[in-house]
Amino acid sequence: MTQIARPILPLCLGLALLAGCSGGRQVGNEEYGTDNRRELALRQTGAATDSGLVVFGVDRSRQAREAAAGAGAGMTVNAFLWRATLDTLSFMPLASADPFGGVIITDWYSPPQAEGERFKATAYVIGRQLRSDGVRVQVFRQVQRGNQWVDAPASTATNSEMEDRVLARARELRSQSAGR
Amino acid sequence: MRKILLGTTAVVSAVVGAAVMAPQASAQEAPTVRLGGFFRAYYGYVNQTSQQSQSTTGQLNNGSSSGLPTNVGSGTQNVPPDGVNNARIGKNDISTDAGIDVIVNGKLANGLTYGAQISLNSSGIEGRQVLGGRSSAGKTTVQVDEMYAFIAHPRFGQVRFGDEDGVMGGLMNSGWVQGFGTGGVHGSWESFVTRQAGGRTTTAPGGLGDNSKIIYMTPQWAGFDFGVSYAPNANIGEDVGCPNNANSGYCDRAYAFTGARNFGIYAAGPEQAARRNEWQVAARWRGNVGGVGIAGTVGYIGAGAARDMTTMGQQARVFNNMNIWQAGVQASYAGFTVGANYTYGDYNFFWGNTLRGDRPAEQLVVGGQYVVGPVTVGANFVTGLFEGGTRGTLTENSTGTAFIPGTNAFPANVNTSTNAATMRRWGLGAGANYRLAPGMDLIAEYVYYSVREQGRDLDPNRQGIQSRAFSNVFLTGVRLAF
Repeated sequence: MTQIARPILPLCLGLALLAGCSGGRQVGNEEYGTDNRRELALRQTGAATDSGLVVFGVDRSRQAREAAAGAGAGMTVNAFLWRATLDTLSFMPLASADPFGGVIITDWYSPPQAEGERFKATAYVIGRQLRSDGVRVQVFRQVQRGNQWVDAPASTATNSEMEDRVLARARELRSQSAGR
Repeated sequence: MRKILLGTTAVVSAVVGAAVMAPQASAQEAPTVRLGGFFRAYYGYVNQTSQQSQSTTGQLNNGSSSGLPTNVGSGTQNVPPDGVNNARIGKNDISTDAGIDVIVNGKLANGLTYGAQISLNSSGIEGRQVLGGRSSAGKTTVQVDEMYAFIAHPRFGQVRFGDEDGVMGGLMNSGWVQGFGTGGVHGSWESFVTRQAGGRTTTAPGGLGDNSKIIYMTPQWAGFDFGVSYAPNANIGEDVGCPNNANSGYCDRAYAFTGARNFGIYAAGPEQAARRNEWQVAARWRGNVGGVGIAGTVGYIGAGAARDMTTMGQQARVFNNMNIWQAGVQASYAGFTVGANYTYGDYNFFWGNTLRGDRPAEQLVVGGQYVVGPVTVGANFVTGLFEGGTRGTLTENSTGTAFIPGTNAFPANVNTSTNAATMRRWGLGAGANYRLAPGMDLIAEYVYYSVREQGRDLDPNRQGIQSRAFSNVFLTGVRLAF
């Protein structure tokens, strides 16, 4: 064994012990320097080092990117319709949203200009295609009688107007992302 | 001793065992195989010394009228032999390079991540190599750059095993600011100049090489992480390297061989150098101080060297061990990064072993860069003192049992270029990138590099003693990584 190696072996052992004793933070591969030309270039241009073509296995980074962009592969309904529905109904408090079933249910909402009247909406996004019949909105209305809320019919035009709003917003989102 | 070993083992297994058993809540992931790569093409305008294509070391200046420079094999020269009407090399060139990477990544349910990287580059051979009368290896021949496997545990850190840079060979260094242009003074300008009077081969961390090694790097505690790597020799790849049954310098494991004194640095072409038992140790701290990102590294690189053999079969120690200390620090704030790095120890300007009696080297690197939107600009500067004169003229004593080292004295005939003296190398690089798209850059860069050694002829193909060599390179082009 060379003289150089002598102090290093105990050091290795010490490091391993230290590693075992206390919980440190895992250092990611991207936190180490590299002499790999591809990786150097990727890091320098701010591109993800997990770019490239996945030839085997599931491209998780792409999944994550798409999920972040609202077009997750995990979604079973059309992402544009889904986002558009959320956007359109966002003025009301949300009670539940299930991206897998495609159901959005809002809570009761009383518009400030119409006190004594409240609305609730349920929206269904149907299927993965961006189609005009891919969304259905049902608006419920109640009016206040004394201290009680009583069901009242909402105008049938309200439902289709809401659907039109959603479709218009979906078209907008689609055209915004067309360049990507 | 045995008791101590057993005791140590018990402690280790108590600590390590408990940690291994502790399950990590983590989703298992099937491995992915990813194909990536890079391409770059630069135009370069070069103005350098050592431009004469006629060689005094060939057969051209000695009165002979036949023969080309020695590495071209037989042929008829068409250059006048009188050393007056020399041909110069041109000033323009386009340099291209490409590589393909295969990257494997996977994760186990206990949090263990694993993978491998195989990197194929088309720049493995520096120049065309003549292998025989009618065959040669072109300089776009694809060679393996890095290839290694890694296993990383959230608690125990990471092990890399294979042909990869060491912890001070680029993995954990700080203070090298070269994230602009092609890397400034450590960048691609070297692709355009002739070695070595043109100033090629600056000692950047990656220059230490990807010799086959094992690397261990710890997790991070309170900002600190540590690493250590070991390589048994300077070589890479499969097989022992010996071309036949004889033990020669080609063999990875040869610890003494005839002519070892010529391989303090890597020989051009084959992976052959005298470096043996290379250890690298690094300690790094990274943190945020008042909004400023700080990283600092101190490290050590040590290695022995193969011994030379005299004609009488005597092993002779002709090299110093490598003993290199390095400290670097860098700071980042609001797009600005500045850094400095200082290296001192027994090494030469190719990160090789110095011969006994040589002076130690020292090198200072400073740099800065600024990123704003898609634009990065930066500059860096390197200055260093190295052993200059070569002692390739080591001669045997009369009994053939030992080598007589070269002399430090200023030689009477300075034209022989064999004096040993201090060489100063300094360079300055400035460059800019415009990010056209993620992974794709337009680049422009200028680098000046200078080598000085008093009394040594750094341009032997010119008349007289040229104590100075320099290069000016302006390059511009495109780089794409995917």
